[in-house]
Parts: sequence; C-alpha cells; structure tokens
Amino acid sequence: MQALVFYAFSAIAIGSAVVLVSMQNMARALFLFFIVLFSVAGLYVFALADFVAITQILIYVGGVLVLMLFAFMLSNKTLLDQLQRGTSHFFALPVWQALLISACFLAILVYASLQLGTFQPAWMVAAEAAGTTIGPADSTVNHIGIHLMTRYLLPFEVVSILLMMALVGAAHLTRKEANP
Amino acid sequence: MAFYLTYLLIGAILFGFIAGFTLFAVYSERKIAGFVQDRLGPMETGRYGSLQTLADILKLIQKEYITPAAADKVLFAAAPVIIFIAIFLGFAVMPWAPGLAPSGLYLGLFFVIAIISVDAIGLLMAGWGSNNKFSLLGSMRAVAQIVSYEIPSGLALIAAVMVAQTLDLREIVVNQGIQTAEHLLLAGIWDVTDIGGLFAWNVFQAPHLLLAYVIFFIASLAECNRAPFDIPEAESELVGGFHTEYGGLRFAFIFLAEYAMMFLVAMIGVVVFLGGWNTPLPNIGAVRLADWTTGLVWGIFWTLSKTLLIVGVQMWIRWTLPRLRADQLMSLCWKVLTPLAFLCMAISGIWRVWVMV
Repeated sequence: MQALVFYAFSAIAIGSAVVLVSMQNMARALFLFFIVLFSVAGLYVFALADFVAITQILIYVGGVLVLMLFAFMLSNKTLLDQLQRGTSHFFALPVWQALLISACFLAILVYASLQLGTFQPAWMVAAEAAGTTIGPADSTVNHIGIHLMTRYLLPFEVVSILLMMALVGAAHLTRKEANP
Repeated sequence: MAFYLTYLLIGAILFGFIAGFTLFAVYSERKIAGFVQDRLGPMETGRYGSLQTLADILKLIQKEYITPAAADKVLFAAAPVIIFIAIFLGFAVMPWAPGLAPSGLYLGLFFVIAIISVDAIGLLMAGWGSNNKFSLLGSMRAVAQIVSYEIPSGLALIAAVMVAQTLDLREIVVNQGIQTAEHLLLAGIWDVTDIGGLFAWNVFQAPHLLLAYVIFFIASLAECNRAPFDIPEAESELVGGFHTEYGGLRFAFIFLAEYAMMFLVAMIGVVVFLGGWNTPLPNIGAVRLADWTTGLVWGIFWTLSKTLLIVGVQMWIRWTLPRLRADQLMSLCWKVLTPLAFLCMAISGIWRVWVMV
C-alpha cells in the first residue's frame, strides 16, 4: 500500500512536470507547478523528512508560488506573449543552455544512484551500527533545531544575513522618492 | 485493511461535522445579525426560521452549473475543491479530547499553518479562472491579505509554542491541564499543577500570551476574509469578490470552506491558547471539579463549547464593526500587529528561560 502511494506521488510529480514544460497556457502551467510541488512534498514524507515536506508547502506553495502568480497577473500582456512564443528552432541558445543543465543533473543523479546501488555509504553503515538512525515515529524537529544552533550555526547565520539584506533591499526599492 | 476503512470513516465523520456546523452557523449568523440590527432575522421557514438554511442548501444543490463562456474551465471547476480541501486537511491534526485526534503528527501546528496557506492558491485559481475583473481583483485582495496576516498569526503562535516547547498539538493541550507531567505555574509564581482548570491555560501560565491570543484572533479574522477585514468581497465595490461567478454546488463548497475556516482558526486558538479540551473548572480542595470534568465526552464538550463561543465572537464582531480600508488593513498588519507579535515572541523567550525554570 505504501509503495502504491509512493509510486502514485512520483507518477503525479513527473507527469505534471512533463505537462508543465510543454504547456503554452502560462496560468495553467503555474497551477500545475502547484501540483508538482505538492507531490514532491509527499515524496519528502516518504524520505522521513516531514519537516522539509511541510516547509516546502509553507514556503513554496504558500509563498513563492503566490508571488509568481502575482508577478504573472501584474505583468504586461504583450511582453508575456513574446515570452510565450519563444524560440522555435532546435539549435537556439536557450535550448542549448537548458540541455546542458539537464544533462549535468542527469549525470549527477546517475552517478549517485550507481554509487548507492552497489554498496551502502560508510556513514550510513556507521549510523546503523551506532543506532543513531531516525525512525518514522521519531520527532525530527528537535534534531533540526539542535543542529542548526550548534553544528550548522555559521551557514545558518550567513543565510539569515542574506535574507536580511534582501529584506532591506526590498524595503529600499519600495520607498517613495522625496524628489522625483 | 480495517485500518484504511477507519481513515475513511474519520474523514467522513469530520466532513459531516463541518457540513452540520455550517448549517447551524449560517442560521445563527443570521439570527445574530438580526439581533445586532434590531430585527428578527429569518422567521418564515419552519419554526423561528430554523429550516431556512436547509432550504437554502436544497436550492443550491438543485441549481444548474453555470460556467462563464470566457472562463478557464478547468481552473474554474477545480478552485472550489482546492479551497475546501485545504481547509479540510487542517482538521486532520486537531485534538478533540484526551487521546482523540484524527492524526498524531509531531509537527501538528506547523502542518496546520502550512496547509491553510494553500487556500490562497485556490482563491487565485478562482479569481483567474472566472475571467472577470471583479473576481480577479477580489482574489488578489484576498491573497494579499492572507499572505500578510499569516506573519502576525504565525509569530503569535510561535510565542505560544516557545512556552509549550512542542509543535505537537496533543502535547500542547496536555500541558495546559491536570494530566500534565510537567510543572505548571500560574503567571510564573503560583504552582497550579494539581489545581488545573482555568489557571493552567497557556494564556494564564504566561500572561503576555493574552496579547498574543488577541493578535492571533485579529489575524485569523483577516485570514478568513471576514468583517472587519472583508474587503475581498466588499459588496459595494466588487459585487461578490472572487466568488462572483460561482453558483450552485460550487458556491456551496466555497461557502462551506469559509465556515470550516472560521471553525478551524477558532479551534487553533482554543487549542494553543485556551486549554483545548481542558476544563475551565479548577480543583478546590476536596471538590475535585477539574478531575470530575476531564474525560473523553467532557473533552469533546469543552472543545466544542469553547470553539463555538469564539465563533460566536467572530460573528458578533462581523455585525458590529465597519469594514477597514485596504491601506488601513495593511498598516494595521505591518505596523501594529507584527511588531507586537515580535515583542510577544521575545517575552516568551525570556519567560521560558528565566521565569518557567
């Protein structure tokens, strides 16, 4: 039953992603993106990363996607038409870039799955031997909190400074000019 | 296999409860509106108009599906379902009584906050799919409002979570009554672990949470798009807002979602701040009122009565206060509620470290 649900989520994610990239209607494509994000959140739950799954829904679905929809609805119609027409012939520059990036990702994925397929990584074996693995019924948020405040404190602070800079920048951009 | 049948049964029971609640709430809303405006409200259908909402539902079910010719058919049809399901999923983790919650999730509160924000996508879908300027403007107003007010409400909830030290809604409730394993202090001074009742609720354990609850309550009104924050459906400007084009069963679903949302946010407030299924009656010496009124049936009774009381306050406010203007709405959110919620959060940290040791 669990495998069935897993494959259903994967099929929905991959299927709607394929439809998404081949779709001409931009508004519907954005709403399909919502389905992709949601089913990927479902896949995170199967990886025992429930915190990541809920964060995905909260930030991507509730925040980023809403912002994208707003940007889409507020943007110029003629500009959008030009974007949607795009380049049609095969050897155009955007096609090349996209091909390169997706080929790189495919190579990384194939490499990782080959590595995992033959033998378990050393850290996984060590964790199983030490009994420090996390089961489906364990609370993950405590571990995340402790690790963020100790082991990963520097990256955490760097990210928060980055976000702060973005916030200050946004506030500056929306400020009314004194003398236009 | 019986496992999955139980899941379906629980879902069906919750849906039935929401539908029943909506019937009851629409009737009481009309009666409260009548009372506030010094008139009788519905009186014709049934005794004291008690069959009025049933008649309304029958009318809505019979109605024809009308899709505007220029609408995006798929999005138009999918939007009410998504709006309702987003709210309905939120009920999955709400505890009703000791040991009675549809799902025991460790991240319960986080899940509820996240899943409610999906509602915004449904609203945008409805507004865009209708292909109508009123709908689009209404949905954009609604979403801008929901996204903004999520911040003070989330921060107010975090202030309570910092005191409770868990995101598990079941545990948050247990730690506000006599069944707790922890040490409860009223306002950080008086030990009320054995007394329980009213004094053990989060708002009284840490008095600054009273302010956090008020912030949460105001923000939750805005997230439900209810007056005084109902500019998304301001009748005088936007006809009906994002649901202008909807009729029949689809409109019924949007309506159901609105009332389910009212109940859900009221219940979140009750569970996190007002003791959930814990009784308000304390133990006084040999008179063990709190012990006598704690249990499965009592739990459901207290949850329901507290939540319905809060829903009643929501209705009372709707028919009493005038509507806020869009810029006033935003400045209230960003310049008043958000800084106050941050203040509550800071006090919670100090409270937890220095007072509740």
